[in-house]
Amino acid sequence: MCGVRNAGDMVLRVQLLKGLKIDAAKEYVAEKLGVSVLDLSDCSVMTELRAKLGIGVMQPLDGMPTNVEAKIRMEKILGFPINSVTRFKERAGLE
Amino acid sequence: MSKETILKEAIEAVKKCKEEEAVDVMNRAIAEGLDPVEVLSEGFSVGIREVGDLFSRGQVFLPELMLAAEVMKSVSAIVDEEMQKSGKDADKKGVMVLATVEGDVHDIGKGIVASIIKTQGIDVIDLGRDVPADTIVAKAEELGADIIGSSALLTTTMGEQKKIEEILEAKGLKGKMKTIVGGAPVTERFAKRIGADAYAEDAAEGVEKVLALLA
Amino acid sequence: MKKYMTRMGDGYRVELSEEEIWEDIKAGMEDAVSRGGVPELSGEEQQKLFDIITMPGTVVGVEFGKEVVMTSDSGAGKVGHLAGIQIDRIIGAQIHERVCANDSVDLGHIDYTYKAVKAVMHDEAADMQHTVNNTVMPILYGAMTNLGQYTKPDGPCDNWAELLPQGKIKEALAAQEEAVEHAVKDIVYIGDGMYECGADGMNFDTCGASGDADFLAALKAVSILREKHPDMGVEMGMAGEFVLGMHGGLTFDGKRLAGMYPHEQVKVCEAAGATIFGAVVNTNTNESLPWNLARVCTFLKACTDAATIPVHANVGMGVCAIPMTDFPAIDAVSRIDKALVEVAKVDGF
Repeated sequence: MCGVRNAGDMVLRVQLLKGLKIDAAKEYVAEKLGVSVLDLSDCSVMTELRAKLGIGVMQPLDGMPTNVEAKIRMEKILGFPINSVTRFKERAGLE
Repeated sequence: MSKETILKEAIEAVKKCKEEEAVDVMNRAIAEGLDPVEVLSEGFSVGIREVGDLFSRGQVFLPELMLAAEVMKSVSAIVDEEMQKSGKDADKKGVMVLATVEGDVHDIGKGIVASIIKTQGIDVIDLGRDVPADTIVAKAEELGADIIGSSALLTTTMGEQKKIEEILEAKGLKGKMKTIVGGAPVTERFAKRIGADAYAEDAAEGVEKVLALLA
Repeated sequence: MKKYMTRMGDGYRVELSEEEIWEDIKAGMEDAVSRGGVPELSGEEQQKLFDIITMPGTVVGVEFGKEVVMTSDSGAGKVGHLAGIQIDRIIGAQIHERVCANDSVDLGHIDYTYKAVKAVMHDEAADMQHTVNNTVMPILYGAMTNLGQYTKPDGPCDNWAELLPQGKIKEALAAQEEAVEHAVKDIVYIGDGMYECGADGMNFDTCGASGDADFLAALKAVSILREKHPDMGVEMGMAGEFVLGMHGGLTFDGKRLAGMYPHEQVKVCEAAGATIFGAVVNTNTNESLPWNLARVCTFLKACTDAATIPVHANVGMGVCAIPMTDFPAIDAVSRIDKALVEVAKVDGF
């Protein structure tokens, strides 16, 4: 699904954590992002949306959230904790 | 008891890994004047090949396969004894050197091939895994092998099988010492391309091809 | 008679007539049915396979909306290791994310064995920490159980591959059972370490490579890890289409492991707590792509029908109909991928 170019990273994250099959995983992500399932594989829609939500893009410009910053925003949108974010916050003394 | 019944019983005894039954079948066959070599090759050997085929389908497991090979060893020993009694040499069909080529440590399949071919009256010398091509050829020369068998599981190690052919060519042994190749990435086409005498997809086919090379 | 260009299982081009393609589709399917005891593909599914195989164009793709996700075993190290480009694994993971647009990647050690990684677990965990801090997509830690590594002289257990041909069956079985316990300890140790530093999950790669005991070790370790860390993602990928019975008597969840085909393998992986199942069907290098693809789709359709978790088909070289060659041709790969999604209904690769 082309990872952060589309929404493949998030769909895979849902599969990996919740054990959902592909259609159910896509529906979950689409609902959380407020888009259609078809939009998840459309880089025109997703690049704009990802930039707006600050959840990571292929070529981040200065000032855009990247890496763990993007995942901190992503876990709020997806509605479940992301392990690397939890550990980052622990180590940074943010929680 | 008819020969057909004895052969059927022999096949079944190997398939069920029943050593005592197998020994009993062979002894009865000899008592009734049947040729023990024929009972071995047309009865017991057929059984072990069937076990090999079931193993390749996941319906029989390695301990059973090895038990079946043990049964074969016991009946082969009786045949050897009979041959000695009758003053004939034990029927060793040939000598085969077998190895997994250099750079490759995958030898489960090769070990199975060795066990099954041994049951066919062929003296198999298993050189193990990760064996250089020149060592394989040198050992084959030393032992006067009729056949060199080599296995490669990786696309990166298949080239070693070609190296064996080149060494045989350079030593003037090509054609005198037959070669058979196998392993997951190896094909009939590859065998022809490198000049090997035979290719086998699995242990059961390996037996057939090796017997054909020795015929 | 019109001929269609396709491939053999070793990657070489071959031209087949419509009749020959159909013969191979039927034969491949029947081979899977007879070996795995799985249902045949429907007439419609067989026709779909034929249409995909004979589609014009070098590259074909799935229909709109049918796109699937992909994990990548040890991918982060492959840019440096296989391509010989001098970068570290963290940059390798970033390249996978922001150049290749992968959905995820796993960070694996070059040895790719839990036993070997044990000695450098903290170094591996430090790399994992830096990687997850510098990427967005999920990062897994991958390695193989590789139970053979626990045998002498590399490990503490007797070598069952030597004991079995000697007829020492009981000793061979006991050695495998002993090795399972050593492997479980190592895997759980690595899994704990990776999870605690931020890994999204573990990729149990090539499960069953050394037979049913190897598979059992992975299943036991997954059970323990999932109980300790309920939010840990776990992908369990297999070594072959059926579990090799090196032991023959081992069970998990009350089921004998040896001889299990994908539709049975996935159920024990689910019971252990895996969240993604990686299915493998071996490519037969002597048969054509239509034969191999029909066989794979027959096995995997039964697997996806049985599964409640997502099934990812392993589409590396030499498995799931992908030709056994270092660089499989894209005409073959794209047709296989399309068929696996649209006929076998896989959830990812």
